Amino acid sequence: MKLSVLALASSLVLPAAASAQSINDAQIASIVVTANQVDIDAGNFAKTRAKNPQVKQFAQQMVTDHTGVNKQATALAAKLKVTPQDNPTSQSLKSGGDANVAKLKTLKGADFDKAYIDHEVDYHQAVLDAVDKTLIPGAKNDELKALLVKTRPAFVAHLEHAKHVQAELSGKK
Amino acid sequence: MSGALRLSLVIVACVGLLAAGRAATASRTPAKQAVTVEAVAFQPADLTVNVGDTVVWTNKDPFPHTVTSKNGAFDSKELAADKTWTYRAQKKGDYPYVCTLHPTMTGTLRVR
Repeated sequence: MKLSVLALASSLVLPAAASAQSINDAQIASIVVTANQVDIDAGNFAKTRAKNPQVKQFAQQMVTDHTGVNKQATALAAKLKVTPQDNPTSQSLKSGGDANVAKLKTLKGADFDKAYIDHEVDYHQAVLDAVDKTLIPGAKNDELKALLVKTRPAFVAHLEHAKHVQAELSGKK
Repeated sequence: MSGALRLSLVIVACVGLLAAGRAATASRTPAKQAVTVEAVAFQPADLTVNVGDTVVWTNKDPFPHTVTSKNGAFDSKELAADKTWTYRAQKKGDYPYVCTLHPTMTGTLRVR
């Protein structure tokens, strides 16, 4: 049950995930930058709307960490002279992120906190799956691959953190 | 014993004492050890040092971390990207620590 929910969540977040074989580095760069930006946007909204201090703090950390990763990714893309190239995966990440923020805007209080954190859990799981199955195996440039490998543990830490906050929230109900 | 001989003996003794003192100091010269904070992990995660040694944590991730002792012995507060934080080991004991921003990151400083 849990697995199928997760698979569903993954397919919702990344419906058009490209295969590792067919993807190029410019597309990977675009997916990385978009994936970070989507979480920054959600975090920026959540830190103003969240009620629970743990949720607020988590949202701030998402903004800080993903901004840092994006700076590094953008600098590497510039160094490698790779121009991020829009593709179905980055487009669906962007539209999925916009839809999430639009939904969050209709919620307040504990409902908002729960919806934001639930989505963060699914989102980080889905991005992690994409990193493992598509982005790392698909990256041609060694430095790009190294950046992905080095960034992966941050997504794991965020996922664990989000799950912890999720458990705390459900415990309070 | 002539005055000159006595003086030279005193000098030899002094030099000897100085040398001995320097040797003793040399064996206790505090060491400087490094911990790299990268890819959301402390490397090495388990480090043993002597009292008086300094440990330098360098954050190589593009976002902040903390080096925070679980028992309150030390706390770097937020350590920004590319910054270092230095701590001088003061008291013997084992000091488990975490990054309060990423609690999956853990390490132990053992002071002997």
